[in-house]
Amino acid sequence: MIAVPLTAALLGAIAILLTPADRPAWVRRLAVTAASAALAAAFAMVLTYDRAAGGYQHELVLPWIPALGVSLHLGVDGISVVLTLLHAICSFAGVLISYSVKERVKEYYLFYLLLIAGVFGVFTSLDLFFFYLFYEMAVIPMFPLIGIWGSKEIKDYATMKLTLYLTAGAVLALVGLLLLYFAVDLRTFDLVQLEQWLAQRPLPGEFQRWVFPFLLVGFGVIAPMWPLHSWSPIGHAAAPSAVSMLHAGVLMKLGSYAIIRIGIGLLPHGAYVWMPWVAGLCLMNILYGGFVALAQRDAKFMVGYSSSSHMGYVLLGIACLNVVGLSGAVLLMFAHGVMTALAFALIGHVYDQTHTRILGEWGGLAKAAPFVGTAFTIAAMASSGLPGFANFVAEFLVILGAWEPYRGHAVLAVLGVVITAFYMLRAVRTGFFGPLNPRWAALRDATTPFARLPYVFLIVVLLVVGCWPGPLLTIISPSAQVLINRVNAVQTVASAPGGHAG
Amino acid sequence: MIPWHPMSVELWLAVVILILFWHDLTAPAPEKPRMAVLAMIGLLPVFPLALAHPERSGAFFSGMYLLDPLARAAKIFFALTAILVLLMTREFARHIARGVGEFYLLIMTATFGMMMLCSAGDFLMLFIALEIITLSFYVMTTYLRTDAKSVEAGMKYLILGALSTGFLLYGISFIYGWTGSTNFAALRETIAQSPTLSPWLLFGFLLIFAGVGFKVAAVPFHWWVPDVYEGAPTPVTAFLSVGSKAAGFVVLLRLFHSIFEPVSGVWIGLLAAVAGVTILYGNLVAMAQTNIKRLLAYSSIGHAGYLLIGIAAASGLGAAAVNYYLAGYLFTNLAAFLVVIAVFNATGSDELTAYAGLSTRAPVLAAAMFIALLSLAGVPPLAGFVGKFLLLMAAVHRGLLWLAIVGAVAVVISLYYYLLVVKRMFVDPPADPTPIPVSLSVRLGLYGCIAGMLLMGVWQQPFLALAVASVRSLFN
Repeated sequence: MIAVPLTAALLGAIAILLTPADRPAWVRRLAVTAASAALAAAFAMVLTYDRAAGGYQHELVLPWIPALGVSLHLGVDGISVVLTLLHAICSFAGVLISYSVKERVKEYYLFYLLLIAGVFGVFTSLDLFFFYLFYEMAVIPMFPLIGIWGSKEIKDYATMKLTLYLTAGAVLALVGLLLLYFAVDLRTFDLVQLEQWLAQRPLPGEFQRWVFPFLLVGFGVIAPMWPLHSWSPIGHAAAPSAVSMLHAGVLMKLGSYAIIRIGIGLLPHGAYVWMPWVAGLCLMNILYGGFVALAQRDAKFMVGYSSSSHMGYVLLGIACLNVVGLSGAVLLMFAHGVMTALAFALIGHVYDQTHTRILGEWGGLAKAAPFVGTAFTIAAMASSGLPGFANFVAEFLVILGAWEPYRGHAVLAVLGVVITAFYMLRAVRTGFFGPLNPRWAALRDATTPFARLPYVFLIVVLLVVGCWPGPLLTIISPSAQVLINRVNAVQTVASAPGGHAG
Repeated sequence: MIPWHPMSVELWLAVVILILFWHDLTAPAPEKPRMAVLAMIGLLPVFPLALAHPERSGAFFSGMYLLDPLARAAKIFFALTAILVLLMTREFARHIARGVGEFYLLIMTATFGMMMLCSAGDFLMLFIALEIITLSFYVMTTYLRTDAKSVEAGMKYLILGALSTGFLLYGISFIYGWTGSTNFAALRETIAQSPTLSPWLLFGFLLIFAGVGFKVAAVPFHWWVPDVYEGAPTPVTAFLSVGSKAAGFVVLLRLFHSIFEPVSGVWIGLLAAVAGVTILYGNLVAMAQTNIKRLLAYSSIGHAGYLLIGIAAASGLGAAAVNYYLAGYLFTNLAAFLVVIAVFNATGSDELTAYAGLSTRAPVLAAAMFIALLSLAGVPPLAGFVGKFLLLMAAVHRGLLWLAIVGAVAVVISLYYYLLVVKRMFVDPPADPTPIPVSLSVRLGLYGCIAGMLLMGVWQQPFLALAVASVRSLFN
């Protein structure tokens, strides 16, 4: 079951490659089939995840390069199983939204499914070699996806910037991973074996302190941690809607997930030393990102900066290094992913017809397209953290978690919620309400059930998780607890006189 | 009885060359293109011959000739390269006004030299083999006699090649003068026994490194590369960039990882510095290129720098990484040059502008070029990624962290200029939308290369085991 999402996407890509280019309908059907299979498998994985047992489950190990200690080790813990579900949801909705792509359909879906496969690979890999391999594999398809199907004016610059930033981060992290590999006498890339080994013999504190920045900065680029975020808003704005959905919904989460999984998981002392810095930087994410979003007139740029602002909360939750904050961060990754996918899908729906994303030029769209208007209002409310939506629960947990270690940050972070509410609701008002701009009187709504499916699906997920977060949180928290225990263990060793981790 | 089996590959190739020569003399002009197929068929027996009798490995003819796993692997490599280059030449032959037959013959003599070079166990044998290779290349480089660029390329290659040969010979004379031997095994023994390296021996060693540095295009011995790569007929450029470079690295492996291995402390720093500068120079200058052959020339300088990481790492892992990288580079670079030839045949241009809209004009060519460029940049899951991964691993293992970081940063730089080509092929509209026909042999060659890149990128284990086995005899 663990391999289904990854293989479904890869097989889908291969099948599409073999389909004649003049049969776009077949290509679409293949893509939907692959995404549905992945979604079903991801749901099944969450449902069958044994909460009581916790830890890594659904494991599958294939020896791959024994000489180097590489194995295709797939498996999920409570954190990655939730993120796998998030990715399955976003990519399923994304494949449906992609029906609006009319040019070079075959190539589009080929790259799109490769991107999907890469991200599934990252979330389900428990081997550092394959983790890196899938990570790069997820980044590269973005280049043609934005370059070919992106919006004309900025795509050349945006796609190159995005690819180079993310690759630069990746190779830096790779050097960190190799340092880690040679520092442990096991000579294995297997994450589980490394964790077990390091639980007995933690790496010297000195080593953790100077290697941690490689991983933090390397993966921080994609997270995106201020001031390394500048590739992200323009990337969102230039990408076609379905790509923005995955990019903001899931791709950015790879960074924070890697920091949790590898940074905290393998270098707990390094995390303990560096996290106060991260807390400071992510405050910049929240406030700076928020203020820049305030100044945007372009809807996609606004949601783009809003995303990097919200990822600041995720990083703040991680920086807390306590269970509440970390669980909140993971839940926020989920909630924000779904919300932002919804927002980008809706903006894309409007943009396909209006060919402008300047909010001031829209005006009263909800009159012409009531369904889209309502859905966007819901997305805006979710984004502002209104109770009832998953985002509220998650942001609440993050701020609760930050209250103890970083009280000042927590207070300022609440301010960020206010800023978000301000620009999101303003966008709803100028774009969708007020007098209808006569230019858009003929705007088509999403009327058929099939066209409404992706939007309704995403909204339902947001509401269900918002009203009933228990099932997800009870999966996330035990795994978060395991990671936090590791940090606490190092802390006690470090504070004890003569502790070797100090 | 003289044991002839260590030279079985070379003897067989000599027979093939003679047959080709005879065919070239007697066959009427329209039948000469057949020589490419004849030569390809002639190369096929090299594979079983090179692999035969693995138990009878070792040094032969008083240590002059080696048949160890490295030599066997290299022979396979060169045979495969030659087959693909012959395939390219068949496509390119229409641009060669006179002497197509001799052109095939020269490819075979260069291959013959490469087969000898990787078996050389003595500096004299090494010198002879190297000269066979370079003399063939001097002629091939300048083969487009009416094209000023080709003539210029041949001239430059001749002058600088002769200079590098001078360095090499001068270096050998110093080594002989100090140790009284030119035999690799004897030299290794002498060096291992002397506690300190004499400055004269070191001087000779540096001169030899300079001589070989020319062949592999390491900075600061790279000046000939861009002009020669641009001016030479494209199959020759491909052959230079893969065959000649690999031959140089086989020599470097023997030189550094075997003969001078006991004094690795002396040269690791130097090699690492050369590697770092070569990587940065090649990749930075490649960004400014507007001609695909010049771009690939500078990128090949960068790749020489990456390969030097493996030499500088002075470890079994480093040596295995060099071999893995070279094998991946064979499929990757030859695929790229096959596309360059196909595009040149259709458009008559090697400028990057000729690649605009290639994905609509010839999807196969664009896809193959896309995959090749990604593999050159080191993107997973392709052969180039695994090669770079192993090289960076070797650097970190040796404690050359800064070199690993330089190598990692250069991946980003190289991705920039490779992706600019990708953008031209996939995003820009074509200047001339007529489809480009792709012949069956080009298709087959490209499919083979793509399969190689993917296989070596996804299923690494068997290839890595081969790479490790091929360098085991270096570190006794």
